[in-house]
Amino acid sequence: MKLTRREFLTLSAFVGGTALFHQAMNVLAKIDPDGGGIYYPLAEPGNVIYTVCQQCNTQCGIKVRLLDGVAAKIDGNPYSPWNLYPHLPYQTPLREVAPIDGYICPKGQASIQTTYDPYRVRTVLKRKPGTQRGENQWITIPFEQAIREIVEGGDLFGEGHVQGLRELWAIRDPKVMKAMGDFVKKIWAEKDPEKKKGLVEEFKAQFADYLDAMIDPDHPDLGPKNNQIVLMWGRLKGGRSDLLHRFFGSGLGTVNRHGHTTVCQGSLYFGSKALSEQFVDGKFSGGAKFYWQADLGNSEFVIFVGANLYEGNYGPPLRVVKITEGLTEGRLKYAVIDPRFSKMASRAWKWVPNRPGTEAAIAMGLIRWIIENGRYDETFLRNANTAAAKAAGEPTWTNAVWLVKIGEDGTPGAFLRAAEVGLTTKQEVEKEGKKVTVYVTPDGKEYAYDLLVTMVEGKPVAFDPNDAENGVVGDLFVDTTLRSPDGKSIPVKSGMQVLKESAEKMTIEEYAAEAGIRPEDIVELAREFTSHGKRAAVDIHRGVSQHTNGFYNVVAWFTLSLLIGNYDWAGGMIKATTYDYLGSKTKGPFDLGTMNPGALSPFGISIIRHEVKWQDTTLYDGQYPAKRNWYPLSSDVYQEIIPSIGDAYPYPVKMLFIYMGTPVYSLPAGNTNIEVLKDPRKIPLIVASDIIVGETSMYADYIFPDFSYLERWEFVGSHPSVAWKVQPVRQPVIPPLTEMVKVYGQEMPLSLEAMLLGLAEALGLPNFGPNGLGEGVPLTHPDDLYLRMVANLAFGEKEDGSDAVPDADDDEVRLFLEARRHLPRSVFDPDRWKAIVGEDLWRKVVYVLNRGGRFQEFAKAYVGAQVKNKYGKLVNLYQEKTATTKSAMTGKPYFGCATYIPAPQDVLGNPLEDEKAGYDLVLITYREIFHTKSRTISNYWLLGVAPENYVLLNAQDAARLGLTDGDSVKVVSPDNPEGVWDLGNGQKKPMVGKVKGVQGLRPGVVAFSLGHGHWAYGASDIVIDGQVVKGDPRRATGVHANAAMRVDPYLKNTCLVDPVGGSAVFYDTRVKVVKV
Amino acid sequence: MYEDLQRALKKPIHQRHWGMVIDTRKCVGCNACTIACKAENKLPPGVVYNVVIDEEFGTYPNVARRFISRPCLQCQNPPCVRVCPVRATYKRADGIVVVDYDDCIGCRYCISACPYGARSFDFGTFYTAGQTPEVAPWDVMPSFEYGEEVQREPGNPWRSPIGNARKCHFCIHRLEKGMLPACVTTCIGQARIFGDLNDPESLVAQMAASPRAIRLKEELGTEPSVYYLL
Amino acid sequence: MGKRALVIAIAGGILLAIGLPGLINRLTQGMLNVGWSTPIPWAMWLAFYIYFIGLSAGAFLISSLVYVFGMKRFERIGRLALFIALVSLLTALLFVWLDLGHMERFFFVFLHPGITSPLAWIVWLYTLYLILLTAEIWFVMRPSFVHGAEGRGGKARLYRLLTFGVRDLSPRAMERDRKVVWVLATIGIPLAIAFHGGTGAVFAVTIARAYWYSGLFPIMFLVSALASGGALLTTVVAFIVPNGLGEYQEEVIGLGRLLALLLFVDFLMEIAEILVSLYGTVPAHFIPIYEQLFGPNWWIFWILGMGMGLVGPMLILTFPGRKSAFWTGVAALIATIGFIGIRWNIVLPGFAAEELPGIGRAFMEPHWVYRFYSPTWVEWGVTFFCIGIGALILALGLWLLPLRAEEARA
Ligand SMILES: Nc1nc2c(c(=O)[nH]1)N[C@H]1C(S)=C(S)[C@@H](COP(=O)(O)OP(=O)(O)OC[C@H]3O[C@@H](n4cnc5c(=O)[nH]c(N)nc54)[C@H](O)[C@@H]3O)O[C@H]1N2
Ligand SMILES: Nc1nc2c(c(=O)[nH]1)N[C@H]1C(S)=C(S)[C@@H](COP(=O)(O)OP(=O)(O)OC[C@H]3O[C@@H](n4cnc5c(=O)[nH]c(N)nc54)[C@H](O)[C@@H]3O)O[C@H]1N2
Ligand code: SF4
Ligand code: SF4
Ligand code: SF4
Ligand code: SF4
Ligand code: SF4
Ligand SMILES: [Mo]
Repeated sequence: MKLTRREFLTLSAFVGGTALFHQAMNVLAKIDPDGGGIYYPLAEPGNVIYTVCQQCNTQCGIKVRLLDGVAAKIDGNPYSPWNLYPHLPYQTPLREVAPIDGYICPKGQASIQTTYDPYRVRTVLKRKPGTQRGENQWITIPFEQAIREIVEGGDLFGEGHVQGLRELWAIRDPKVMKAMGDFVKKIWAEKDPEKKKGLVEEFKAQFADYLDAMIDPDHPDLGPKNNQIVLMWGRLKGGRSDLLHRFFGSGLGTVNRHGHTTVCQGSLYFGSKALSEQFVDGKFSGGAKFYWQADLGNSEFVIFVGANLYEGNYGPPLRVVKITEGLTEGRLKYAVIDPRFSKMASRAWKWVPNRPGTEAAIAMGLIRWIIENGRYDETFLRNANTAAAKAAGEPTWTNAVWLVKIGEDGTPGAFLRAAEVGLTTKQEVEKEGKKVTVYVTPDGKEYAYDLLVTMVEGKPVAFDPNDAENGVVGDLFVDTTLRSPDGKSIPVKSGMQVLKESAEKMTIEEYAAEAGIRPEDIVELAREFTSHGKRAAVDIHRGVSQHTNGFYNVVAWFTLSLLIGNYDWAGGMIKATTYDYLGSKTKGPFDLGTMNPGALSPFGISIIRHEVKWQDTTLYDGQYPAKRNWYPLSSDVYQEIIPSIGDAYPYPVKMLFIYMGTPVYSLPAGNTNIEVLKDPRKIPLIVASDIIVGETSMYADYIFPDFSYLERWEFVGSHPSVAWKVQPVRQPVIPPLTEMVKVYGQEMPLSLEAMLLGLAEALGLPNFGPNGLGEGVPLTHPDDLYLRMVANLAFGEKEDGSDAVPDADDDEVRLFLEARRHLPRSVFDPDRWKAIVGEDLWRKVVYVLNRGGRFQEFAKAYVGAQVKNKYGKLVNLYQEKTATTKSAMTGKPYFGCATYIPAPQDVLGNPLEDEKAGYDLVLITYREIFHTKSRTISNYWLLGVAPENYVLLNAQDAARLGLTDGDSVKVVSPDNPEGVWDLGNGQKKPMVGKVKGVQGLRPGVVAFSLGHGHWAYGASDIVIDGQVVKGDPRRATGVHANAAMRVDPYLKNTCLVDPVGGSAVFYDTRVKVVKV
Repeated sequence: MYEDLQRALKKPIHQRHWGMVIDTRKCVGCNACTIACKAENKLPPGVVYNVVIDEEFGTYPNVARRFISRPCLQCQNPPCVRVCPVRATYKRADGIVVVDYDDCIGCRYCISACPYGARSFDFGTFYTAGQTPEVAPWDVMPSFEYGEEVQREPGNPWRSPIGNARKCHFCIHRLEKGMLPACVTTCIGQARIFGDLNDPESLVAQMAASPRAIRLKEELGTEPSVYYLL
Repeated sequence: MGKRALVIAIAGGILLAIGLPGLINRLTQGMLNVGWSTPIPWAMWLAFYIYFIGLSAGAFLISSLVYVFGMKRFERIGRLALFIALVSLLTALLFVWLDLGHMERFFFVFLHPGITSPLAWIVWLYTLYLILLTAEIWFVMRPSFVHGAEGRGGKARLYRLLTFGVRDLSPRAMERDRKVVWVLATIGIPLAIAFHGGTGAVFAVTIARAYWYSGLFPIMFLVSALASGGALLTTVVAFIVPNGLGEYQEEVIGLGRLLALLLFVDFLMEIAEILVSLYGTVPAHFIPIYEQLFGPNWWIFWILGMGMGLVGPMLILTFPGRKSAFWTGVAALIATIGFIGIRWNIVLPGFAAEELPGIGRAFMEPHWVYRFYSPTWVEWGVTFFCIGIGALILALGLWLLPLRAEEARA
């Protein structure tokens, strides 16, 4: 079959060539693929297992070809929308797919080198007592000993007593914890300081018996001692995340379970969260941690900002083809806004090399031009509610016409409520014996919450945003003053008016000057963007979000998109959609969410102080700024975890678990984490789950070997640009390389699962063990959880089972078993598996696993010109929740709408002017397709293409600095004048790299790619049981300049941050490069 | 392309002419091809069949970038074959230029003679053997080049393919099994089109006929079977 | 053994000893530790191989002055010339053999030769030449063997053996020998020209390398071969043959004249080549030359090649060398060494230009390194070893074989 898809484009872009595929498959079937005399065992379908790559977080579908139980070659899974466009029909028989490979990137091709890394850890390592953290002196200890020491604590390193998990598992009674949690909510809800104090006393009285279990009885909202256990993770996916939350959350009851989102593209998520908050019961909630991307397969014009689709992003295989096809078809044209001439910029219609940090300036320039020239989608913007949108055939709607109250200083605040202008009246009524307040409209309709107001032909009209019957279409630009029933004047503006005025803060010329580009660039971009109806989109990523103004950069670009109302439209902005594997939608076959006996419901302020306003807590003292920033609008604030532990703010931490994360290497100024990590007084115990001794796990007290991605289970979900409903499944492919241990009396290879089950067994956690999933339903083996998840996935989302996948036929079952013949019983045992999922689901489970997950038909993702899997809700052009949240640093409310805020600023909002001190270059960083973060330096095949990375300079700058290609230079910054990584163990790793002068980089900018400059991960010697394990110099090449990145002058031990969206800041540091 | 492949495989070998077209507009310089080849053929350090040349042109802000991915071009008039003193390297009936590892005496004349730098000498190097705490399986695993089990042996320079010239062979072992070459299937830009140039129906033949098609160093008269679309 | 032969023998022994570890590494590790790479597949060993082939061809052609054109003035050094040709040939072959990735398969060139491959041709030619050379030497020396066969001692026994029972020294027999030698020598001339030109062709036919790809190449090869061969012969006669300077004064000076001429022609060709390439700045032509002249190895061109190989000797020969056998010898010695530089610069610059611009940066791994080459200890070792072997054979010959004039007269 012609997979070059040329012919598919002759078909409509939406209805893919499934028909063609069937033809093709028939052709295939007829041919006997056995080339005479050719020996190629890897071609046999019985030697292939379909799973998911994790060389990077794109999570491509892969087919692993095995040779005598060893992963020999990896190719793309053609069933997966990631790796073939269009992807194969899900029903295509396995045998026919054997000779067909999808595409994967070079890292995927090299990935067996990650799994079979000679430096992998196979047994539990313990820091050698008497040596310091980071000295890399290790001893191997038995699994059972490690479990015992962590659970019971004791004098483990000759440094004094260390508390164990049992002690920290302070409150174990679910009812008590629930009650406490509810009480604390009450405390937070209380605005009056005196009453608050009273409530605290009440709390102490009510829970007198448990006060010693609290971190600080006088501040009950810090929560129980359970919260002094902290889990932080880097790359975590479904299945494992459920297990971790089960263990640390509902098991040990700590709120401190934090991911790495903010080091990644945090403000992209939390900007989108703010944009997606929904109006529920009178206030805004339910904003989703997610984001949108362009539907590249159907777009006609896309503006990529700080997004690196050819080299990074989520990810090359998934996204590139849609672009290259679009280009050669003449369908697609795109612009790239990026100081660096990325590979994708080299194919762009327009490359706009802007000054780092000015992304919003460009967006606001476009918005201004579009508004001034009336090129926005007026019909879309005027729909005030669900009904209006429905009537207009719009899947989404916004609040451009809702009226916003304006404070006397002119700052927009909350939305106007109908009662405030007498459009409804507030009344107290009796409802089943309870007094409740209701809002009544003149025509007598009762609402449990007050309505909002918009102008219709100049008259204020009350409306319910979620009303699906009566559509309201409002006036777009409103700037007027209304009167309250008692005659007070209330100045109001429409959301659109607020946006317009925000955009008018600068002229297009000023915006251009700010961004260091030509005004024509802005105009041309705006004109083009508004010349393709809804088939234009913006696609933004780290280059936008990882700035001190990241949140507003993101909001500005998505607001721009809102002006053409392209959300949920083919070729516009789309979001990810996945099949549920928890069984929560159908309450079965296995409703895993509820199969959680004795589950605790953790409460209290987290160590990163997220999703709660400082002003509501008992810690609030009215003294701005607070000791550290609070993050009411974001979560998973990675860079905040370890420094906050260091400052013991808001409380000291006793035990830190690190899973698949390396903050030291990955964070900007990650070197500041080392001081905290290496000090047992600040963190008494550090446990890491890792496959190797990495840049961060080298500071741990215990390292538990983990499975690599070819040995484990995960349900990896999707990405916004995937229009199809999917759920790829990562499953065991090879016999684990780790040591075998015993847990709950069963053989189990060392892994995250073995570690958690082992700890749970020792602690006797109620939601693990023989009755871990409910009376008589054991959770004593990872299969107990993961197989049920697969079963749910196979069963689908309809109670009647009509959404289930087909049964695997005999041949497929045979292939399934044959392909797994090399796996040990501890990992794969058909009888055990079948017993868990049950006879009737078994063949469906096989069907799903044979295909590496579940994927929607190519043709099913679109209906007409819209996507099938819709967002379908309100997108906030104006954000009430944001506008009513006060910064813990300044005490001022955040601005609720798109705007341009210059960068860089410190957390207090003061501009940083290091350039004045002679730091004349802006440091930026980017991905090469050959490397993933800290994780691919072990892939020697890749090193052939990129043996080291470079310090990229514009040739002019290089000349100006008297540098020629190949010169070694050191990167120095105000915080790191020495230009080194101080490893805190006596060693220093200089940030020295070779200069490469290029034309494709904005002058005044210096760039380095991610992935080199290692000092651990096999790059240097370590000692295990007195034996030196020699490091490999090939892994130590190049430069990793994160330690040059700016430390926030107020926080002192943390990188610059986006105080609203929580992003760690990568692109706003001024540096010098000095020849060495 | 799979259809084309099947059609070609049904013909007698001498009627096929395997060829490739690489669309430089679609090539994003990702090197998936390069690494796929390394992985498919378990190539040791210093042996590489496909490379991607990344060149920058112009001056800021008017910059351009070009990627040329180069497998063996399977010349129909191959200078490498002409110079082999022992006929260890020869052109097959289907146009693929191969090396017989058991005949090659390792004189490297073909390497000097290839105008495209498409051949490598196998020096007997390994990635992990002797350089890391343990030897990785992929480092000593056999490859299936030419449909045979090709096993390199650390420390034994007398055992082929160590000491031989090596080159891209259009993944004959995959072709014969009805599979496209590894670098073709993994091309994330879908820039590589493969098939039978003798088959006018085939996509590759149609592409090769396009006015945008050129061949490298045409003037040398090597008649490559690999075309580039500009 | 003559004192000087002994010196050569000892020198050879030392070289061999120094080189042995390198050779062992080469034989046990293969090419693992060589400095050349895929982009520079031919290097030091190849350079020495063509160097010695050149010496052989040159020496042989000079011998033909005696045995074909019956030049009396060189008669007394004919045998020496022949023998030097033989030794150089053996040394050269040793170099190529060790340069093969699979030495054990060298005979495939006879089993299934590639008829279109210059390399195959020359291997056959070498073989022919080897046979012819040995035969010619035998016929030339037979009388001495016969004489030496009388009397006692190891040498006599050896000679008895070497006569292969053909003891007839009658004028008829001698006449027949003379004819045979004449025939062999005459066939030898085109043969030598062929195989050496062929060696040039090996390079010349590679369209991949503009630097080699020229008609002039084979000719240059010949001339420089004659020059270098002449130089070596002169050196040997002057300094290695006992009392060469005294006994062979005219020969030495005569050879010197010839040498001066050859060097001059070679010089002209070099210049031509360089000027042309530098003029038309076509990268493929330009880079190799530029690299030679101004690259990191500039000294190989200027000092070794131009200085010692050509200009220096030319000057010495035209001034002090005109009359003094000693100075002629010195000039010849310097030239002999200098020619190594010229050979080096025939092989290596061929790889200076990337086949495709930018390919050198496309991939970087051990043994996939463009432009940069420096020989490793293994390469030096093998080189010393081969030269050592050559020297030993030469010494052996000087010791045992009737190479010298008086022996010839006897
Ligand atoms: N200079 C620079 N720095 C960056 C970025 C950049 O663009 N430039 N990008 C940032 C981004 S987007 C991100 S997401 C972060 C990511 O940063 P992190 O999520 O903190 O770290 P990773 O690099 O993914 O590395 C995870 C660590 O876990 C361990 N590990 C590897 N494989 C496994 C496994 O299978 N199991 C377990 N248990 N452990 C494993 C290894 O020690 C590895 O170092 O990096 C950030 N850092
Ligand atoms: N090869 C590879 N792919 C990956 C990963 C990987 O590690 N390696 N990691 C995955 C992960 S975790 C993530 S989060 C994604 C990240 O995916 P992306 O964010 O798309 O990729 P990055 O290269 O991190 O950065 C995006 C672009 O921002 C540009 N940039 C830098 N500073 C600025 C600036 O100030 N302004 C603007 N406008 N642009 C700027 C950089 O030049 C780069 O081209 O990639 C994913 N895919
Ligand atoms: S993009 Fe590459 S590395 Fe990332 S998941 Fe896909 S194949 Fe693996
Ligand atoms: S590209 Fe080089 S190796 Fe390939 S056939 Fe042509 S000459 Fe031979
Ligand atoms: S290296 Fe092998 S294939 Fe190449 S020319 Fe020599 S013998 Fe032939
Ligand atoms: S065709 Fe096969 S051998 Fe040739 S470059 Fe592609 S992958 Fe390598
Ligand atoms: S895989 Fe395709 S896109 Fe990537 S470099 Fe090779 S040819 Fe270009
Ligand atoms: Mo990320």
